[in-house]
Amino acid sequence: MINASVYIAVCTAKNRLLVRLRRLREPRYLVGAVVGVAYLYFAVFARGRRPGVRFGRNGRPQPADFGANVAMAGTSLGGLTMLVLAALAWVTQTKSALLEFSQAEIAFLFPAPATRRQLLVHRMIRSQIGSLIGSAFIALFATPFSGLGRARLAVSIWAVMLTMRVYYAAVLLTRARLRSSVAAERRAAWIPVGGLLGAVAVVSVSVARELLQPISGASDFFVHLARATSSGPASVVLWPFMAILRPPFAATTQAFLSALAGSVLVLAAVTAWMLLGDGMFDEVAGQGGAARDLAPGQAAAAPSRARGIGWTLPLTGRPELALLWKGAMETFRGVSARAVRLAIPLLVGVGGAAFGIMGANGMRGAAAAVSVIGGIVAAVSVVFGPQLVNSDLRTDLGHLEVLKTWPMRAADVIRGEMAWPVLLVSSVMCVSVAIAALFSTQAVPNVPFVSRWSYALAAVVAGPALVAAQFVVHNTAAILFPAWVQLGTQRTRGIDAMGQRLITLAAVVLSLAAFAIPGALAGGVIWLIFHRLVGDVVYVPAAVAFAIVVLIEVVVATELLGPAYERIDLSSIEKGES
Amino acid sequence: MPITVEHFTRTYGSFTAVDDLSFEVQAGEIVGLIGPNGAGKTTTLRSLAGILLPTRGRIVIDGHPLGPDGAGSIAAKRRLAFMPDEPHLFEYLTVEEHLRLVARLYTVPDFDRRAKALIDELELAGKERSLPGELSRGMRQKVVIACGLVRDASVLLFDEPLTGLDPLGIRKMRETIVARGKAGAAILVSSHLLHLVEEICTRVLIMDRGKKVADGTVAELAGQAEAAAGSNLEQIFLKVTQKL
Repeated sequence: MINASVYIAVCTAKNRLLVRLRRLREPRYLVGAVVGVAYLYFAVFARGRRPGVRFGRNGRPQPADFGANVAMAGTSLGGLTMLVLAALAWVTQTKSALLEFSQAEIAFLFPAPATRRQLLVHRMIRSQIGSLIGSAFIALFATPFSGLGRARLAVSIWAVMLTMRVYYAAVLLTRARLRSSVAAERRAAWIPVGGLLGAVAVVSVSVARELLQPISGASDFFVHLARATSSGPASVVLWPFMAILRPPFAATTQAFLSALAGSVLVLAAVTAWMLLGDGMFDEVAGQGGAARDLAPGQAAAAPSRARGIGWTLPLTGRPELALLWKGAMETFRGVSARAVRLAIPLLVGVGGAAFGIMGANGMRGAAAAVSVIGGIVAAVSVVFGPQLVNSDLRTDLGHLEVLKTWPMRAADVIRGEMAWPVLLVSSVMCVSVAIAALFSTQAVPNVPFVSRWSYALAAVVAGPALVAAQFVVHNTAAILFPAWVQLGTQRTRGIDAMGQRLITLAAVVLSLAAFAIPGALAGGVIWLIFHRLVGDVVYVPAAVAFAIVVLIEVVVATELLGPAYERIDLSSIEKGES
Repeated sequence: MPITVEHFTRTYGSFTAVDDLSFEVQAGEIVGLIGPNGAGKTTTLRSLAGILLPTRGRIVIDGHPLGPDGAGSIAAKRRLAFMPDEPHLFEYLTVEEHLRLVARLYTVPDFDRRAKALIDELELAGKERSLPGELSRGMRQKVVIACGLVRDASVLLFDEPLTGLDPLGIRKMRETIVARGKAGAAILVSSHLLHLVEEICTRVLIMDRGKKVADGTVAELAGQAEAAAGSNLEQIFLKVTQKL
């Protein structure tokens, strides 16, 4: 069976490479490949030769104390993070790449004379080439490393990714064992759960003890946290979690090999645990799993039951509003454990940024924190919202065959598709701005009340227009270059696809600037005329002028896009790769 | 005339999928569109549904030309119902919500009664609140057909309508198509199931390599193909497409 798995993995990799080379005959891929190679050259290889940029010999990081500091605090805090992720996985994990078999694998391997355990090993083997390429790619961009250091980093990342993947599969299988009708199975399944709960308890006590000491600031907080996790019983129970993170921080090859041995030991233990759960394979991955009856392209993550939203579509009204309703249904029902999991790092990032801003500006108190967080969320919504919330034509190009039969003007379809995501992102932004303004007295006490509320109102007026403009730009890219748009969560891979994404990103930035400049000019004229007369209140009418100009541009742009939408060829839409 | 196709040509780059195709379908007529793989049937149906624009030629639905955006094109689409072979459904809308969305877009009067009747007719009762992910392929196909039939379309386009249906579903679908034809709809059915086409269609149009190679009733086709008396559609098809 292992031979067969290796054969499938090698043949698939070889043929995938050939397909990618062959598709370079098409200009869209060739252009993408040229841009992708150029980017790789300038971002990775040429940078190393630039004067003033120094890399350590033998991959030793620069400056000298970087590795030591990171190794000291990084691994213990990293271990703590891994423990938290490991614990969260029991609640949030709903699927594992190792338990998701393609339709072809189900058709060929499930009826084959192979045990379920062999099928699990098969999935591990099949995922290796992708993992290795992914790890190598990350290592290429890791600037403090070079040469052998990058190779070591690639191997380290590969080991971490594989361990996490196997762990998630083991969690799913164990959760299924907990529901088993056989008492012995259930008892065995409780052992790792108990072990993890024990580890969480030990670490929690240690962390709580340290954090109860007086803390002088953000850096002191991390020092206490590192101390809590790097000594006593906490360091013992965190050892496996730290062990898988040690290899990237090893300074020498000998230290790396030693650290890698610990990491591989943990991987072996987790793999053994996963394979012991093979009795539940059919519950989680087999014919009883999600693979059954799913059409090609049907999202495996789709919920099994429709969540009641309490919003019934009226049978009359503008068709764009029907599309808005459709988008809302998809968003509310699409919020899954996966989305929550993706939100965690975002929240951590927002919290970290707020912490930093407050520390840098000497802000104190809960109200100031709420205000800063509100401001950051508003900014993140405007800048990243239109990229993240892609429940518009970028997702619905897959349903083009349905959309094009509807008796709607093309411009109405485009606006209808954008309506919900624009409303959603704008609402998040406006609420965040309102919260930031409400609690701003403590955050920026030196700024007068009128000025603070003028800025807030200006943001609430101008923000949605800017959000709408961004959605127009993204949807324009989807309509004009459908071949370069990835449908839903599918992503095309390869250097040519990376080049396509870079070109699209550059085009989006330029188009957005083109959208915003006329509005900014209109707002600027109002500011110049009235600023001396009314002070900061002028930002409100300036924002109104900006919003009016940008919204007119949005309407005109969607009208102009109509003919291009009519001409979209279904065959140009990228189907993505599994 | 519900469907008028004049010199319709559709190319993909240098490849011509459909070449100078002309035909008409009258009200109450059920026309079978058959041909070997790659004959251009699906391209023809997608162009008739307004999904693809013709490279050359004209497609007119109930007097309204289909083409780039415009009032005529929208009026044409209002009269059309296209049931594709692959059921494309929105994964987060329930069966009932799909019907409601279509009713809103096409302004369907008396929606509740129609929806209930269709759900019963297509044996979707009990699945109204189900998401597509909960349905079998056959069920999803029925939802697509229900979305097409919930409105009073005067032109019905079916692409392999029986794919994925169980025997009872196949029988009901045959009856449904015939009933809509008798009620005055102009129907175009593309299928590889020649016995189905022979059974329900009043006329058959055979395509091969993008061109129309035969058009008429089964008896007329037999005459055109110089097939033996009593030949069935399969024998005629093989003769016309020179596979025999």
